[in-house]
Amino acid sequence: MEKNLECYAVEFEAVSTYYYGERRPAIRDITLRIPAGVLALIVGPNGAGKTTLLETILGLLRPRNGRVVTLGYEIPRMASRARALSSYLPQDFMKPPAEPFTAREVVAMGLASNNPAGRLSEGDWKRVDRALEMLGMLEYADKPFGKLSGGQQQKVLLARAIAREPKLLLLDEPFSAIDQETRSHIVSEIFPSLLEDGCTILLVSHELDHSHIDADMIIRMADGRIERVIARDVHAIH
Amino acid sequence: MSMLFINSIIGGVFAGGLCGAVGALCGRLKLMTMAFSMAHAALAGSALALVLGADMTSLAMLFAIMTAIMLGPLADYLGVSLDLISMTLFSLYNALTFIFIISAPGPALMTESIGQLLWGSILAIRPTYIAYLLTASIIIIAFLAIFWGKISSILFDIKLAEAEGVNVKAYKYVILVIAGATITLALRITGGFLVFSLLYVPAAASLQLQASMKGIIASSWIIGSASASMGLAMSFLYDLPAGSCITIAALILLASASAYSKLGASLASGRRQSWGT
Ligand SMILES: Nc1ncnc2c1ncn2[C@@H]1O[C@H](COP(=O)(O)OP(=O)(O)OP(=O)(O)O)[C@@H](O)[C@H]1O
Ligand SMILES: [Mg+2]
Repeated sequence: MEKNLECYAVEFEAVSTYYYGERRPAIRDITLRIPAGVLALIVGPNGAGKTTLLETILGLLRPRNGRVVTLGYEIPRMASRARALSSYLPQDFMKPPAEPFTAREVVAMGLASNNPAGRLSEGDWKRVDRALEMLGMLEYADKPFGKLSGGQQQKVLLARAIAREPKLLLLDEPFSAIDQETRSHIVSEIFPSLLEDGCTILLVSHELDHSHIDADMIIRMADGRIERVIARDVHAIH
Repeated sequence: MSMLFINSIIGGVFAGGLCGAVGALCGRLKLMTMAFSMAHAALAGSALALVLGADMTSLAMLFAIMTAIMLGPLADYLGVSLDLISMTLFSLYNALTFIFIISAPGPALMTESIGQLLWGSILAIRPTYIAYLLTASIIIIAFLAIFWGKISSILFDIKLAEAEGVNVKAYKYVILVIAGATITLALRITGGFLVFSLLYVPAAASLQLQASMKGIIASSWIIGSASASMGLAMSFLYDLPAGSCITIAALILLASASAYSKLGASLASGRRQSWGT
């Protein structure tokens, strides 16, 4: 597939983000361009700033310095536009056993966000079930989310992210609870089809061995900075 | 049966239901302490109305809604948690309430209106009051029905909803304003100190019943309705403070819901064990 080199999914220019009341930035002075349609892997040790980077991309955390542009929209000013086109799978996804929403309802919420009043059409409900099926969770569709296992909960949230048919997919440790078999299914079937549709995938991982993921870019972070970017594509400059 | 008794029951059904549903929403969104401080804002507002000879409901509503609007930005500005600000304002409002009551014209702590303010009264239930309750009920049901898709997303996970572009702040403010209005209305029958029990107890009871989210909101509504109408009937029959009777009725329902859910759980585990053998 020919990649549009002029178009970036994410652009950071000298960006620093601070948590409320902190003196030290969680990410500092980051300049980064991620072209649209690539699969980028973000790696680094605990506390490196990976989650902070993802949340700055969506404007969930406001950058104190620098300029952030996501899918062509200035962040945080136009964050809602960028968010509508993105999906996010948070690192801390587990819910307590009393969580009453069913798996299907949880996936449906992902589509409700993009409709004016939050109503789903019949076609939308089909999309919900298709996404659940892709992750092998259709048989659990009517089970309360809280009564699912950790890995099953993660799969449902991944189904929610995919059902939105995003332009930008942000996955924070998406495999932390998912078994080997499902993982290979996601990497070899689901990711390629998303990329085919022009989606950009940013995947955070602190696993050492990510040879099973066919990444276009590997961004290595440490201590709030980008240590190194390895890109298959020379135009993906750091 | 007297008109007053019938009106009490009808008023109780709506006021209790509204409080139950709003309580379930606030509980889920971790806004309970905010609701608590709004309730006491409404109390302080009503007490100020006594001093000024102004309309109680209007001033109570003004205080409650101002609090709802102010709390978030104030917490952000001072860099402290919402709960801390809520509890600080709660103390301030109570201090003001007592000062206003003492400053009210006429013999303090004696008048009917102060009794109504502190522990509620069925005398508050007049046709206009019921009309207000009905309007508020229609507004909240319509709001939930129309925007359920987005509201459910916020109830499930605020951050995820925000990440997907839902205007979480706007929805939260709408819910807080609805809560402020509900509290102000309910205050007339429960009194300022017990209105919170009608927000909190039915929501807590409905959580015992292990239902879907819609089920939790609906059962909160029903338990709130039942608490308020039972309490008001008790108040009417035995001439006791309305707020106290409503609180006791709500607690009885909470205990029943707990017992029911414990019984259900032990029956289920009994069945599992007998299958095991
Ligand atoms: N809510 C917070 N308040 C203050 N500091 C925070 C907060 N969350 C994270 N930090 C700090 O920001 C830095 C980056 O954290 P971040 O969560 O982005 O790391 P990470 O790379 O995602 O780590 P992990 O692999 O453990 O998920 C860390 O030094 C951390 O201590
Ligand atoms: Mg992280």
